[in-house]
Amino acid sequence: MRFSLNFVKELLPLDVSAQELASRLTMAGMEVEFLARAGKDWVFDVEVTTNRYDWLSVVGITREIAACLHKKANIKYPKVVKRPILKERKVIIEDLKDCPLYIGRQIEDLKVKNSPAWLRERVFHCGIATINNVVDITNYCMLKWGNPLHAFDADKLEGNIYIRRAKKGEIFIGIDERERKLCRENLVIADDKKVIALAGVMGAKNSEVSENTKNVFLEAAIFSPLTVRRSRRAAGIDTESSYRFERKVHPDYLEYASVESSRLMQELGGGRFTGYAEAGKKPIIKSKKLTVDLKRFADYLGEEISSTQIKKILTNLDFEILKSQKDKISVLPSRFRFDFEDEVDVYEEIVRIYGYDRIAPCIPFLVPRDESSFSVSEPGFLYRFKNELRTFMASLGLREIITYSIEADQELANLGQKDFILLLNPLRAQENAMRTSLLLGMIKSIRNNLNRNQKDLRFFEIANIYSHQKESFIEKPVLAIGLSGQANTLFCLKGLVEEIFKYLNIEGMDLRPEPQAHLSNALGIYINSEKAGLLGKLDEKTKKDFDLKQDLLFAQLQVGVLKEKRKEIAYRSYSLYPAVSRDISIALRRDKKFAKIRAAVERKAGEFLVDMRIVDEYRGKDISSDYHAFTLRVFYQSKDRTLTSSEVDALHTGIREDLHTQEGIILR
Amino acid sequence: MEHEVKRLEEDLQKDIEKASDASDIEALRIKYLGRKSPLAELFSQIPSLSTEEKKIWGKNLNILKQKITTLIDEKLSGFEGKEEEIDLTFPSRPVERGSRHVISVVLQKICDIFAHLGFVVIEGPEIEDEWHNFTALNFPSDHPSRDAFDTFYLDLKEGKKGKQLLRCHTSPSQIRVMQKNKPPFAVISPGRVYRPDEVDATHSFMFHQVEGFAVGQDSNFAHLKGVLFYFARQFFSPDVSLRFRPHFFPFTEPSAEVDISCIICGQGKNKKKTTRCSVCKGKGWLEVLGCGMIHPNVLEACGIDSKKYQGFAFGMGIERMAMLKYGVSDIRLFCENDVKFLEQFNL
Repeated sequence: MRFSLNFVKELLPLDVSAQELASRLTMAGMEVEFLARAGKDWVFDVEVTTNRYDWLSVVGITREIAACLHKKANIKYPKVVKRPILKERKVIIEDLKDCPLYIGRQIEDLKVKNSPAWLRERVFHCGIATINNVVDITNYCMLKWGNPLHAFDADKLEGNIYIRRAKKGEIFIGIDERERKLCRENLVIADDKKVIALAGVMGAKNSEVSENTKNVFLEAAIFSPLTVRRSRRAAGIDTESSYRFERKVHPDYLEYASVESSRLMQELGGGRFTGYAEAGKKPIIKSKKLTVDLKRFADYLGEEISSTQIKKILTNLDFEILKSQKDKISVLPSRFRFDFEDEVDVYEEIVRIYGYDRIAPCIPFLVPRDESSFSVSEPGFLYRFKNELRTFMASLGLREIITYSIEADQELANLGQKDFILLLNPLRAQENAMRTSLLLGMIKSIRNNLNRNQKDLRFFEIANIYSHQKESFIEKPVLAIGLSGQANTLFCLKGLVEEIFKYLNIEGMDLRPEPQAHLSNALGIYINSEKAGLLGKLDEKTKKDFDLKQDLLFAQLQVGVLKEKRKEIAYRSYSLYPAVSRDISIALRRDKKFAKIRAAVERKAGEFLVDMRIVDEYRGKDISSDYHAFTLRVFYQSKDRTLTSSEVDALHTGIREDLHTQEGIILR
Repeated sequence: MEHEVKRLEEDLQKDIEKASDASDIEALRIKYLGRKSPLAELFSQIPSLSTEEKKIWGKNLNILKQKITTLIDEKLSGFEGKEEEIDLTFPSRPVERGSRHVISVVLQKICDIFAHLGFVVIEGPEIEDEWHNFTALNFPSDHPSRDAFDTFYLDLKEGKKGKQLLRCHTSPSQIRVMQKNKPPFAVISPGRVYRPDEVDATHSFMFHQVEGFAVGQDSNFAHLKGVLFYFARQFFSPDVSLRFRPHFFPFTEPSAEVDISCIICGQGKNKKKTTRCSVCKGKGWLEVLGCGMIHPNVLEACGIDSKKYQGFAFGMGIERMAMLKYGVSDIRLFCENDVKFLEQFNL
């Protein structure tokens, strides 16, 4: 809401600087977002919170300013005259729920011309363009009292005035000259023949006041906030008028605004007031009596404010003090305020004028409570585990990324994702579905970096995935790993996954070949027989579709399963005797798996086997391309003694002999 | 012989002075004490001397040997601990390391600060229903107050608690905890939130928030202030100032917005306006969070007796906190995941 200091001064004498006032208002909750000099005036732009309809009027703002300066505003209310009754036309309301009250005043024989300088300045400094004396007067009164008004050219109205819902497809051309097709959501003002206004939102071009207007029909009304809200949304317009109706308007102000407009049109336009029309019933606004329990109030604040101070603050805010006792004060809120329902509403009123900054901060002693004493659905307590995983992943040399949970449904579908949840009201088509895997975000992050000439990328993300499940849905956290670049192979990825399992002390990890959409060489990651995740390499087609310059290796693990399977670390004794190693050079035919060799080594070395590693890979002319040649180093160790050379040789020879008999294995 | 001994002593003195490291000394040890040393030569002459002379020179040469050994050892001990000098003006070898995302670190820093005060971290779901996201939080239906909280709705079956949606703030976590637990408690709840906002330098359709709340028989406004002062001083700097401005939120009463004195120009704190700071736009203050005393209607909606219990709550945007703390100027950087961005926060 924009208002000017001179406007306020019409209602309240002030001897405070604009800057000082701005700071006081801000600290009382009316945040001044903009303050600027305008000639001899000052323009304030304040944020109006949705509970304060009354700050959409200079009268309401003046009352607030007075309270902030520890004064009471003395607003003069005009006398409301309802005679004579207008004979030419009747006002008919279709549904009182949409419009509880509608009043009209007819002013005749006026002259439409430019407004005097003071009026132009008032309206202009409040951010509204000046048009002519009639329009400026309605705007001035709207600014002053908060009630939107509309002036029709009375000679362009045909017959009675109807407040009714629009017919489907009815056409409305507003004073902004845009044509809109209406629907049943729209409430309109119409005469016998045509729509003359979109109620509470905008007047129609067909009955607009012009230079030639002689007679004016001045509308003031209460429209249902909800109706106006839905109507202006359906029509796609937002005006000073609809903004105010949505936040409610006061029936008393409505009358004052109408009377004062009518008086000004007579004074400034030379017209005469010739008739009053009314339909509906003026709603009775009754303030709710509220009692402030002083002890409870002090407990609520952690600070005591004296009863005298409380009463002064409330009186300045137009409250009526009904009864003041030692421990209680009963009050009746201002009749112009709609935002008092509970005792706590009065608390805020007192303390905001008293000053939030005057309440001394105090650090509470919070009773320590263990997580386990809370009853919360399971994922609620994954936070610490997730952070631990994050720190661990970073210690493995990976960088954490954060990617969007919402993606384009088409992109998700292209990646073989199914059962994803759709947004009903997406902002843009590229963000309209909830992801069921972190793969897409990973691909995009890797791609962005590759395109910026980054190499050897090692990323991880921990975030939720979501999907439909029967009648309901799943939302669960997963850990994704993405590697790219020459230094990173599928064995690095497998090693990282194994390292996580080692860190969490999870036994029974099992990697099973398992086809996955858009991954080649994919493995399912199992803990005993429970699925815990997957890993693989992005297949060539997808790599091409995304225009990735390098391979992407991807793994995804279920955080909930990892936490559940995690075991406390238990110390295991280890051998203090030296480990001895022996190498075997092997050529393995490509249709055979290394698993066969592993099994043979385990079988033959038995309890003395501690580790086996590939120490060398060989490619050369003497090796057929059907074979994979490498050197395997086997480590032997005993728990209770030093193995002799001949013992190790015997074990090793056993392995060699075993391997020698197998098809597809050549010992070199 | 006397003459030779003297020369030997002089040579040794010079050589020892010249020696510049341990290996030089080892060379001297061989030169003066080795099998082919002048000393060994002198010793070899002893058998040809008279008995009397044998006695004298045997003693003298042993003294000399002792002397040489001592001199060499002393010099060597001076070099101990001294190592080869390496030209460290050469460039270092690059170190590869991982990093956590700045948002996840800031989030944890914030949660840790509150955890020190006794808050417990509990997360809530991102897919919520209207009742938890709005109704229980005292939002009237179809009211302008919901405008500021525009929300994505989902194609999930509407249940008893209304339409399913993506939470637009972390406040529904408050409801979930309060429904199932008996006060007193103090909980902090971080997570992702979603709003249909056009993406620009300060807005995104997805961002992170932290919600905090404490309910007890005596949790009051002064406590709320105490907790937030403690937080801001821990998180930003010990000399940061705070101001509480009255505001409106449906779920708190009284409600406040909290500003910190601008961490760039410090104007709010010093009260003198000298510079046009681009961060606070010359205001001297930066809005950082919203808070208030939990509205009795909210407590009641969760089955907590508002006559017996009272509480405070606060909420803040993590991206905003990170942007302020580290001077990040564009919210979009957080989800771009450029290594050049990520590596700056090796936190």
